[in-house]
Amino acid sequence: MIYIFGVLLIYTLIREKDTLFRKKRNMLLFLFLSFLGGFLGVVHMLSPHVSSLVYIVEKYIK
Amino acid sequence: MNKEVSIRQIAYTYLFLSLSPILRQIPSALAGEAGKSGYLSPLWSVLVILPLTGIVIILLREFPGLSFYEIMEQLIGRFLAKLIILSYLIWILLSITAKINAYSLTMQFTLMPHTRSNFFMVILIILVFHALMRGMKTIFRFSEFTLGPILVLFGILFFCALTRLRMDYLLPVSTINLPTTMTASKNVIAVGGNIIIVLFFADKLGITISKQQMRKLWYAAVVFIVLSFVITIFTFGITGADLATNLPFPFYITVKSISFFNIFERFEVLITLICILSDFIAVCVSAIILYRCFMWLFQLTEIGYLFVPLAMIVYYLTYFISSTQFEFDFLYRYFIVNSNMIFQYIIPALIGIIGLLKRKKIAKQY
Repeated sequence: MIYIFGVLLIYTLIREKDTLFRKKRNMLLFLFLSFLGGFLGVVHMLSPHVSSLVYIVEKYIK
Repeated sequence: MNKEVSIRQIAYTYLFLSLSPILRQIPSALAGEAGKSGYLSPLWSVLVILPLTGIVIILLREFPGLSFYEIMEQLIGRFLAKLIILSYLIWILLSITAKINAYSLTMQFTLMPHTRSNFFMVILIILVFHALMRGMKTIFRFSEFTLGPILVLFGILFFCALTRLRMDYLLPVSTINLPTTMTASKNVIAVGGNIIIVLFFADKLGITISKQQMRKLWYAAVVFIVLSFVITIFTFGITGADLATNLPFPFYITVKSISFFNIFERFEVLITLICILSDFIAVCVSAIILYRCFMWLFQLTEIGYLFVPLAMIVYYLTYFISSTQFEFDFLYRYFIVNSNMIFQYIIPALIGIIGLLKRKKIAKQY
């Protein structure tokens, strides 16, 4: 799924390049959110069975 | 000024997106916390939901044509307004993730237990993208158009279910249980607070909003409370509170036993469809609000390029936040309910109070 998202990100970058390059803010926001999503995707790809946040919090509370 | 959406459409959308929590989480949570008397909790929620509706109407009347961010900017300054919008942004992102999780768990519980959750998530994301491309008018008009038949269906279901109600599942209610029903009403209040979506679209409503239009918000709040009350009564009266506590979707099991004069059955498929549509609208509206928060926070004029990165974040967050029904129940009871109280009640109430105090000092924009 991360590969599909990667292709879609590149497609968005090419299609919206005028909007993204018009203001630095647009490009920075796009890159920041893309990297965040990519990071989450890579973590999920490498460790698909990592404990969820709720599991950790529940264990900590109990 | 042309109105993009109307109060009527927002009122209908509020009821529509509240349907899936009313059918899923509310009966289960009320049964767990208040037992057999839990059906009284929606009545207690009147004391909180109606004042919130009043606060929303006061803000709409005092600041016509201004969005929630613009109202906050006038009242508390740009920095604090942006800080609050940032917190709303994070809250909405997490609530979209939770809604998508709830939707895929519902599909696995009701129709397709052997299908992986990412299949449902991808389908929903594609449908949401398709709807967002058409604009917010389409989404609000869809809610306006579809809610009527759904309420008629509920009316037919309740009529057919009357003979199956067991009074021993509902009565007696002792005064010892009343305090627990009051505390359990926060589960209803957490859903009823969705009425604040009006504030996020207040700049699209036009400058003049008549009293008749404002009344629609009151009607929507009352219909929400009545719907919660009736659905909870029927769930407890047919399925029983003990069983409803342990089920993720008790109304689904309730409807399985309802038939239309023994001729038409299997209404539970329609209930699943209603939940899917409600989740779909909830995700669409939350996505639009999320986009608006980004626009206000970063002063953006175009936001289409944010869809793919945000979809990616939401998709993977669903795996990291909660992955099973038990985890989602824990997330809902301890995080979603409490965070909804803060973002749907406390912050708007504070803004409303500051607005009333500063009313004369602020120049109204027309």
